[in-house]
Parts: sequence; C-alpha cells; structure tokens
Amino acid sequence: MKSFEYGDEEIGEIEIFFIVASFMIAVGVLTLPRLLAESTQFSDGWVSLVIAGIISISFIWVTAKLASRFPNQTFFTYASLICSKPVAAVFTIGIAIYFVALTAYETRVLAVITKQYLFDQTPLEVIALLFLLVVVYAVSGTRVGVIRLNILFLPIILVIAVLLMLLNIQYFEVKNLTPAFTTSWAGYWKGTTESFFSISGFAGLLFYMKFVNRPKKAPKYAMFGVCVPLGLYLLLYVMAIGVFNTETTATLVYPTVELAKEAEIPGGFLERFESLFLTIWIMAIFNTTSLAYDVSLMAFCSVFGKVKKTTFIFVLTPIIYLVAMFPEDVGEVELMAKFLNYPILIISIIIPVTLLLLAKLRGIKGNG
Amino acid sequence: MRFNSFYKQNKKRTEMIKTKQKNQEDFSLELFTELNENLHNIKKLLDEPSDLMIREFTIGNTDHRCAIVYIEGLTDKLLIDTSVIKNIQMETEDSDKKLADKANDVVDQFYNKVLSIGKVEKVLSLDQVSYAILSGNTALYIDGTDQVLIIGSKGWENRSIEEPISEALIRGPRDGFIENLQTNTVMIRRRIRDANLRFKSYQVGRRSKKDLVVAYIDGIINPDIVKEVNRRLKTIDLDDAPETGFIEEWIEDNFLSPFPQFSHTERPDKAVAALMQGKVVILLDGTPFILMGPLTFGDTLQSPEDYYERWIVGSLLRMLRYLGAFIAVFLPALYIALVSFHPGMIPSKLAFSIAASREGVPFPAFIEAFLMEITMELLREAGIRLPKPIGQTIGIVGGLVIGEAAVAAGFVSPIMVIVVAITAVSSFSMPSYSTALAFRMIRFAFMGAAALFGLYGIILAYIAVNIHLVNLRSLGFPYTTPFAPSFLRDWRDLVIRSPITTLTKRPKYMQTDDEERMGNKKGGQ
Repeated sequence: MKSFEYGDEEIGEIEIFFIVASFMIAVGVLTLPRLLAESTQFSDGWVSLVIAGIISISFIWVTAKLASRFPNQTFFTYASLICSKPVAAVFTIGIAIYFVALTAYETRVLAVITKQYLFDQTPLEVIALLFLLVVVYAVSGTRVGVIRLNILFLPIILVIAVLLMLLNIQYFEVKNLTPAFTTSWAGYWKGTTESFFSISGFAGLLFYMKFVNRPKKAPKYAMFGVCVPLGLYLLLYVMAIGVFNTETTATLVYPTVELAKEAEIPGGFLERFESLFLTIWIMAIFNTTSLAYDVSLMAFCSVFGKVKKTTFIFVLTPIIYLVAMFPEDVGEVELMAKFLNYPILIISIIIPVTLLLLAKLRGIKGNG
Repeated sequence: MRFNSFYKQNKKRTEMIKTKQKNQEDFSLELFTELNENLHNIKKLLDEPSDLMIREFTIGNTDHRCAIVYIEGLTDKLLIDTSVIKNIQMETEDSDKKLADKANDVVDQFYNKVLSIGKVEKVLSLDQVSYAILSGNTALYIDGTDQVLIIGSKGWENRSIEEPISEALIRGPRDGFIENLQTNTVMIRRRIRDANLRFKSYQVGRRSKKDLVVAYIDGIINPDIVKEVNRRLKTIDLDDAPETGFIEEWIEDNFLSPFPQFSHTERPDKAVAALMQGKVVILLDGTPFILMGPLTFGDTLQSPEDYYERWIVGSLLRMLRYLGAFIAVFLPALYIALVSFHPGMIPSKLAFSIAASREGVPFPAFIEAFLMEITMELLREAGIRLPKPIGQTIGIVGGLVIGEAAVAAGFVSPIMVIVVAITAVSSFSMPSYSTALAFRMIRFAFMGAAALFGLYGIILAYIAVNIHLVNLRSLGFPYTTPFAPSFLRDWRDLVIRSPITTLTKRPKYMQTDDEERMGNKKGGQ
C-alpha cells in the first residue's frame, strides 16, 4: 500500500546525518590510534586528525552539493547528463566494485577480530559466512530499512564508546600527552593521510541523495555527520595516548580494543569489557557493511535497470564471500586495506569535484 | 480402490444434501400477501426451530389477522408484550378510530401511530426478515400485504460489566468491554462526546453475519488510515469471526512476523486513548477484545497507568518495562553464552560459584536452560487452563516444588532456576499479552543462537530481529517509529512519559489531521 509520508523511497536529512556518521564508524576506529601513534609524537596526532577531518568535511560537502543539484535522480542518470553515458557507466560500476570489495574487507576484518577476541575455536569461514548472511538479510529488505537500522544502532554504538572512555579515565595520565607540537611536517602529513582514509567521504551519499526529500538541507547535515566520527576518533586517540603513551600505542594492533581490555566495570558484575565492547561493535561494522553492500547494489541496479536487486544479491554474495576469504593471513588483510585506500581518493575526491565543476561550468542542473 | 469408495461415499453424501435442499424447496423465498403462506415459509426456512415464537392475533376488535415472529431469548419479551401486542390489540378500541381499508395502509398506520417503539422498519424480502429475526428483532406480519415490519427488540442476557481480568490496573477505571457490541460502543461514546466520533458498521462472516464497528475520530485521524482499514476489512471473507483475532490475522501486514501488528485491549480507557492519538479502533460483536492500530514497538511497552500515575512514576515504570523486555528476551541466552563460551567474562568469584553449582549437572548449559524454560512455559500454560483456585496452586507447586526438587536431584543448577524465574517474572511485566508472547518466542531463538555461537550469535540474532522490525509495518506505518524514522518530539512520550502539560501535541508519527492536543494555557499551580 501507499504509506503516507513514510514512502520507502524517501528519507529526511536526519537520516543523511546518521548514515554518514555510522558509515565511517567501523573497523577504522579500532586501529586508528596506532596509525596516528606510528607517525606522530605524543598527542600531536590530533592535528593530523583534525586536518584530515576538515578535508573530509569539505569533500563530503562537495559530494552532497553535487548530488543535491539533481534531486530524485540516480548517480548514473546525472553523471550521464554531465559527462556522457559510457563514462558515467564506468564511474558507477567502478564505485559499485569498490563497495563490493569494501563489503568483503569489512566482513573479513570482522571475522578476524571476532575470532581473536570472542570466539577462538570457530573457523573464520563460519564466522564470516554468518555475518554475511545477516547482511544479505538486511539488504534484501527495503532500502529504507537499512537506513533505519543505522539510526537504531548508532546511539547504542556511541553509548558503548563513551562508556569505554569513561571507564578508562582512571588510567588516563596527562603527562603522556605532552610535550606538544614536536612532530615533523612529514609526520603530520603521514598521520593526515593515514587517518584520512578512516574518515574519508562517504561516496554512498551520491546514491542515497536520490531519496532525500529536502535536498537543500542535506549538505549541512552530511557535514554534521562527519563531525560525529571525527569527535569520536579524537577522543579515542587522546584516550589511547593518555592511557598507554605513544610508544606502546604504536605497537598495539587494535589499541581501541586494548583500551576496552583495561576498562573495568564498576561493581565488577562483568569482566572482560572488551568482549562486550566488541559484541556491540559488531553492530557498527554491520552498519558499514550493509550500507556498502546496499550502495553497490544501488549502483549496479542503476546501470542495469532491468535486472532485479535479488539477482544481484545472488550473484554478488558468493563473490564477496570468496574475496573476503582470499587473503591468507592478517598481513594480507592489511594489504587489502591499503589497496582499498587508493580508490577512496578517486571516488570521494576526484569524481565529485570533477563532476561538480563540470556541472557548474556547463550549467547543468536537475529539475529540482 | 479405497479412494474410489471414499469418492463414492462422498458423492452419496452430496446427493443426500441435494435432495434435502430439494425437500426444502417446497417453500419460497418471497413474501406473499397471504399471512398463512408467509408464516409457513418462515417456519420452513428456519426448519421449525423450538425457539421460534409465532404469535397470531387479530387487530383490535376487527377480524384482521396479524402475527409476530421472533426467537425466544434473543428478544426483549416485555417490550413486545407491552408495546406491540398490547397496542395492536387495543387499536380501534375507541369507536372514532378506524382501521384502514387497504392492508398496505394498515402497515403505515401501524408504523406511524400504533407501535410505540423507536426502531421500526419496513422490509420487503424474506432474506431480510430472517436476518432480522435471527439477530433478535421481531417481525410483524399483517394479513393481506407483502410488507413486513421489523421491530427493534434486541435484548438478551449479557455478562455484566466487570473489571477486565487480563489487564488489571491499580489506578484507573475499572470497567471493561463485554461481549455485546452495543454496550461497548456506548462505553466509548460515554467517554467522548465529540460529534466527530465515527462508528462505521461492517458485517463479517458469511454465515455468522456478525456486526463489526470501526471507530475513529474524524478530524484527528489521518484519513488514509480509514481508507486502508476499509479496504482491508472489505476483503474479509470468512464464514465466522468468533474473535477479533480472526480479523487481526486477516488484515495485518505480515502474518509471518512473531510481533503483533495490532494491539488489543478490553479497557475502554485504552481504546479512547488510542482514538485520541489518531488511531483506529475495531470492535466486533461477541468479544470483549477490541483491536487498535496502527501499532508501533513503543506502544507495546506502554500501559494506561503510565498516564494515571504522576509522570516521574510513569517514566520510571516504563524504563523498568524496557529493562524487563530486555531480560525476558536476553537473560537465558546470555546465561548460556557466558557459561559455555565466555566464562572469562563472569567475575571470577561468581564464575567459581556457578561452576560449583553446576557440578554434577549432567547437561550442557543450553539443554539445562531449554528444559527449564520449557517447564516454565508448560506451567504457565497449565496455570491458564486450570480453574482459578487450582491454577494458583499449580503455580506454587510447579514453581517451588519442581524447581526445588530439580535442583536437589542435581538435574539443573540453582543459578539456572534463578535465571528462569527472573525471566518469567520479567515477561509477566509486559503490559501487552501478545507482545509478551512474541518475546517468549524469540527468546528461544536467542537461546539457540547463544548455544551455537555465544555472544556473537546473540548479537547477530539481535541484528536480524532488528532487520525484521525495521521492515515490519502496521497498517503501513513503520513498526520502529518513532525510534526510526525518528521523530524527536515523540520521544517525550516513549521511553519516558514527560509531564502531561508538556505533551501538547499528538504523536507526530501518526500524521494526524489535528496535532494540537491542548490549548495554550499552562497547567499547574
């Protein structure tokens, strides 16, 4: 039936805020303090992080601005308006493939972390398969459903993250943070690039903007959306440095999880806070993964209009699973992450900027 | 061969039914001018039941014959005697009154002057006559005309209005709906004297032809809801609907879901609150339970008492219920997961005492929990079936004795008994029975997930349930609203219940026509 204003094809700007925020909060959080500690000294990483955040915010603005120029149009449609159909098809399929790979990567990292901290006897393959099946269940429902899941889960995720920091305050030592500004320019630069990838623009916005009912407001809310993970990262990074100091943080594989290990629940009715933290964090990873999968499905569907969504799910899911299982060990998973970083530059910087510039120069506008 | 003979038998039976119908065809489904013929027809149509009452008499001091037909027990006898029979027999008693010459005019004369009863109507077909008689009205046949007067004389024994058993409250009105539709609509009317309160009648049941009423307040409700309910009710094609549960299952959005998509109640105050929120209420004759929709997840954990007590108490009780829902769904699963997969998460002292108490228990945690939960469900079911005084005894015997004995026999650990008991108590704290049922069901799913994959299984199951919920709709409204899609304004009356004076507007997610719930005057002082 037609369901009043809750049409399945319509979302508000609040939803944009939520999906931008919860797309970025995923596995990056777990490793970010290490990446920053490796390249900067003491607590100087925050400078890199803030710079990366500002860059990211500006590009998310560009992305949102571009998409909001063409309300109710798919990325493929307006990209073909701006720069001919074949080029648009290449762009769209490229983005789709990137998000498929991202889905696979997230699935793999989730399996690795779960196995390491929660569930050491079950084979990685089973853990990954179960997770992927739940993701498939999510994306085979309505598109709005996926977005609503993000809204439902993000508060829980933020609460557990704040709890993690509160429980660590007793171990926090201010002297670990100083002296300030001792890092070299190269260090700042390295830190910025490292952290940029964890907080980089969410190209899915190019696709989700189609469903926004008030596109004018959306760029602002998308920028707010980036602020949430940025704030969270800053706090977590400072927390990690304050608790462990820079040298130790640089040696920890997942410093955030180690923070959770340190934490003790007052009253002691539960031990091993990291298990609880990771259990909740699975929801964060799930959010990112389902959004990534959904975006790739949307991209494929927009190019191949006649093929049903379920067909793509049937085809893509085994591929995602195989790609996720492809890396032999954790080292190769890291390599996979590195490979996935380069397309981000193209997808969330080069494509939106060129398209927006071209659209402005050629005066192409949507019908909104 | 056997099939063949079965087929033959079946054929025989259908032939028998056919001949039976043929026998009945010595009457006609039309109305005649001849009184005897009409009475014969109605008798044959109903196959001369023992409770069919036919009373023939003459009008006043003339010889003009007429007859009243009704079903004994369904009609108000006193009314018939004093306002129908008496009036007709007294007619033309005075010399200046005269009976009309034509029989058709007699009908009009009766309608206008004689029958001192509010509800009288003229019908022209036997179908209508029989339906009227069977629903408790009285048919008045007059010789010489094929018009029949139907006299509204419904009146049968009803249960008196009592406190609803399934939804007891400490504070709040004590009356509950009963099995009579009319009494129920009156109970709503008495509470809302708004000219815009609408009752739309439907008839359900091919054979039972029960009355169903859809109530809503025009000007508050989103008209699309009314349209949609109307569309769905029109599709109902049952031979009988004994309870609103039948209606619910027929018109709900997803019958595969464990979650209810309509709430039901037997409290008029709850029904009125729903109407005021812009919801639709469906009442069915023959059951005290009414349906309210659309339903959202937040509604299922609310109780009218939240509004009757002061807001702080109401808010705290609501939060308590959310906690209760969490425990009812997750506690046994968490126990299984922690004991069998993550013993390290349990504080060491507690872990030791759990391990010590599980010493000698022959089953893994899942089997242990599953056995106890099944026992608990059985006890609960048995407690409902048994007569009230025994039911309580069974509860005590079952709960205490079986629990105690099971522990003493080393069958389960004492901690498991605690877990099961807390879970049961929590699920009893749910204000909506059908939601509590849903939670009971998914609890077992969570236990299974925990037994297979520990905490990882629980969180995946939780995500899966959420995926189901965000895709679920009730009358087209998202089930998870106002959480998601979020309407921050409605959060004032969701997990907490903020003071009445701050609830100035109706829920936004209901998209009502009239949002204002109160004027600008501030309450208090």
